[in-house]
Amino acid sequence: MAGAARGAEPSSTNIKEGPAVISVRFHGRGGQGAKTASRILGTAAFSEGFTAQDSPIYGAERRGAPVSAFTRIAKGPIRERGIIICPSLVVVADASLIGDPAARVIEGIDERTAVFVNSPLTGEQLHTRISLPGRLTTLDLTEVAVRELGKRSALSALLGAVAGRLVGLRSESIDHAVAQELADLGVDASIIQRNQTAARHCYEAVSLVPVETSVHRGPGPTPLRVPAYEPPTRGTARITAGPNSAIRSVSGWRTYRPVLRPDLCNGCWLCFANCPEGAITIKPDGKPAVYYPHCKGCLDCVEVCPTDAMTVERETDVTNK
Amino acid sequence: MDQKNQMMMTGNLAAAWGARLAEVDYVPAFPITPQTEIVEALSKWCGTGELNARFVTLDSEHSMMTAAGAAAATGARVFTATSSQGLLYAFEVLYTVAGWRAPLVLVNVSRALASPITLEPDHNDVLAARDSGFVQIHAETCQEVVDSILLAYRIGEDPLVCLPVLVNLDGFGLSFTREPVRLPEPEAVRDFLPPFRPAHLGFKASAPQALGTAVLGGSTYSYFRHQIHLASMNALRVHEQAATEFEQCFGRRYDVVEGYRIEDAEDVLVMSNAFASKGKAAVDAAREDGRKVGLLRLRMIRPWPADAVRRALRRRRAVAVLDQNLSPGQGGILFQEVAACLYHDPERPRGLCSFIGGLGGKNISEGEFHAVFEQTAAAGKQGQGIGPVLLYTEAEHREMEQLQFLAHDLKTGR
Amino acid sequence: MVWEPRIFKDLHQIPRVEHVFPGTPLCAGCGGLESLRLAAKILGNRVVYVNAAGCFTNLASFPFTPLDASWLYTTMGSAPAGAQGVRDALDVLIAKGRLPKEEDVTVVVLGGDGSTYDMALSSTSGAITRHLDFYYFCYDNEAYGNTGVQLSPATPYGARTTTSPCAVLHPVGAMQEKKDIFEIWRAHNPPYIATVSPRFPLDLEEKFTRAAAYQGPKLFLGFAACPTGWLFDPAYTPDVARLAVECGFWPLKEAINGMVTHTYVPKLSPVENYLKLQGRFRHLFEPTLQKEAIAHIQGSVNAYWERVNLAERTG
Repeated sequence: MAGAARGAEPSSTNIKEGPAVISVRFHGRGGQGAKTASRILGTAAFSEGFTAQDSPIYGAERRGAPVSAFTRIAKGPIRERGIIICPSLVVVADASLIGDPAARVIEGIDERTAVFVNSPLTGEQLHTRISLPGRLTTLDLTEVAVRELGKRSALSALLGAVAGRLVGLRSESIDHAVAQELADLGVDASIIQRNQTAARHCYEAVSLVPVETSVHRGPGPTPLRVPAYEPPTRGTARITAGPNSAIRSVSGWRTYRPVLRPDLCNGCWLCFANCPEGAITIKPDGKPAVYYPHCKGCLDCVEVCPTDAMTVERETDVTNK
Repeated sequence: MDQKNQMMMTGNLAAAWGARLAEVDYVPAFPITPQTEIVEALSKWCGTGELNARFVTLDSEHSMMTAAGAAAATGARVFTATSSQGLLYAFEVLYTVAGWRAPLVLVNVSRALASPITLEPDHNDVLAARDSGFVQIHAETCQEVVDSILLAYRIGEDPLVCLPVLVNLDGFGLSFTREPVRLPEPEAVRDFLPPFRPAHLGFKASAPQALGTAVLGGSTYSYFRHQIHLASMNALRVHEQAATEFEQCFGRRYDVVEGYRIEDAEDVLVMSNAFASKGKAAVDAAREDGRKVGLLRLRMIRPWPADAVRRALRRRRAVAVLDQNLSPGQGGILFQEVAACLYHDPERPRGLCSFIGGLGGKNISEGEFHAVFEQTAAAGKQGQGIGPVLLYTEAEHREMEQLQFLAHDLKTGR
Repeated sequence: MVWEPRIFKDLHQIPRVEHVFPGTPLCAGCGGLESLRLAAKILGNRVVYVNAAGCFTNLASFPFTPLDASWLYTTMGSAPAGAQGVRDALDVLIAKGRLPKEEDVTVVVLGGDGSTYDMALSSTSGAITRHLDFYYFCYDNEAYGNTGVQLSPATPYGARTTTSPCAVLHPVGAMQEKKDIFEIWRAHNPPYIATVSPRFPLDLEEKFTRAAAYQGPKLFLGFAACPTGWLFDPAYTPDVARLAVECGFWPLKEAINGMVTHTYVPKLSPVENYLKLQGRFRHLFEPTLQKEAIAHIQGSVNAYWERVNLAERTG
């Protein structure tokens, strides 16, 4: 792979000589493929002869929680590491992430940042619902994934293809990178082919917005403030305000939500007993109620319900949390 | 010598007495040579009721340190002891309990590290722990062992510090060596050492807390890790105050460093722990020969008493650091620390010399000290540094050749 | 002998009070969290959880905790020693009058299978031998989950993990048999040991209630169906947990002072039904059916229940 790549001539017009770097930040939920997308983009850029760098960042959160991944592409050496604060392009795998403060999607976005959002809405429609200063483009990748791959969460190839198109990489490079990265993950050849087909479709279908390289500009020295000693009541990693995790909303983790049909509920409490998160409470009438800010959308309650009173609805509206 | 109220005791027994006089609540233990006598004595006293504490033998030093830290985090005054391989087996827990800001006293009886496995002392074990967050006090005499343990509780439990403290004594050189020790009166110790009532520790039903939680992100981690540094630095002035009160209570004075015939010394030898006694004798001998030398003994290793070291060593012609440890590929560990704190002093010594001696308990003879002083003086005159130089004699070399012959070259006729 | 619950006979008896609150960072559909939440309803909030490194270490992530009880993170290999230190200190402080008796808390070790089955075994063995009065709650997801699902001593034969992949040289995946930690504990003669599954919430609540009567070490092995590591949709956590019991793979049992009782008699449905639900066993079915491997798993389950039946007939 690498041997072939070294001889290749850089093709893109977006990527400039010198210190200019295209910085792409992917936002997804654990399991959606943001990390693999960042690798597909990195491998594709590398195969076209660019210098590339890709890396994920993990928090303590698990599958379903916000994750981000980064790809940098340049003609020369890349002298940056770690998180991307001022991205050229932001790729959002799940529109619900935009309103989730933990995801930090909007960080560093200004009017020159290109932003791609996986959404059935157009960029204009999305603009009316959420305020994002960047140049917005959208495509319903989830619909493509469900149609072509039969899975709602396997978005890596699609995200990689969209990002590759927007930064100006060739379709063949994406094709090759999808194959390589998914094979590395142990994905079967037949499924890789379906991913390549879906990726080509997204590569063609996405509406283009300009992506600008960024040059790191130093605004002068940052004011430093060395912390002072605190007594160990506060000077060690210690929590006395527990249980305080309940103030966090995990709504954004959901792709689907459980909805109770009270007329079908027999009041057995199986859903209450089996909710891992304790998001289901029992009302005074003995019937359960889902408290959505605490529901991660695992749908265990739907699965255990003996009367099918718990039904499933897809989360669509980014603001309806 | 005033022998009233003095007893002959080993360094190990003195360590046990330190814990007994501090009226500790809990002693988690695990045996290891040359420390074992300490926990044997404490076990006996816990059994007779002379010490009102719970004694528990754990399954390893790793567990022992965890139990020690957890008990301190619950609000008990805790004492424990280990040595060498045991300290390293407990290593991750040292960082953990320092992060909890759980004050306790851990005595380390220094012993060189395997491999090759041996029993005699050097300081690679205790200095490996220097970055853990533990305050470290290194003792020269059996008297200093018991006194340092009392000081250790006083300093570690101060709200400005709240850190565990490691008190080091050398295996054999102190651990099994008896000398006169004056035990402080229990009543006076109670006046000197207030009861342990930490504000941030304890697991009470009415006031739950999560301690030692995970953190996300470098800025949160940096904040708490830096707090350990600030707490450790606070220990310098807390020690100063405690030492003054200790002197008032017990008539003995301890500072973070100890100078011996240093006032007018041209050249200074820097040492720590029990062999510093031999260094002092060597200074006396050299003085008789007309050499103006002195000795600086490092007593507090963490926090690093940079100002005190600098004050003691500036304006000297030459300084020699005799490390009883070896960082392979670098040299002496304390040499680096001494050198770093002298760098910006405009009157720093002209010569800075590094000697490695006493590894695995190897003796340092009078003649070797003599050689050290001679080379150090020469380095000072020429304004250059030397070392690291391993103190190893011609005779030892010949003996080693004989052992190699027996190990490899002897024809047994088999 | 048929085991009968004494208290928990109806789901409506499950306490409504919560002690593990929402907003945790754990995966959606975490079977381990499901067990912990049910357990805490009985354990209450006068508890200190002594945690070993694992997925649950993320529960108390500064500045948030979902618990209204105390927490102490120790290390991966020594949480039971941490429990020893806490318990001993509480006893000493109460005896010396420095802690009012009513402030006492129950000490609960919280560890995953990686810690429980291997690294903390020395520490655990020591604590049981000393007859430490504590609970040990193990959420068993049969792999090192927090590091991304590697082979642990709890990984069963035939499961695929990232370090026991289905490969040409070992197409079955994991070649080992799951370590029997229940019997290792039982050999130490603690007063109470039980296995639990969150899909059998009454059995779980009943066992935690019963265990409270015993002073000394008490082990709970919680079946922790793991959508992330076992590769199934989180919605199927309850189904995986139910089938594990029904096929006989995860026996529900308790041992009081060494006497083992099975608390639920499963239908012993074919293990395929259980295996097929999970991506970690998919290689046993496709692209080629590994009949021998499946028969091996079925054989192990059958052998277990034959031993149980024999023991219960003769015992």
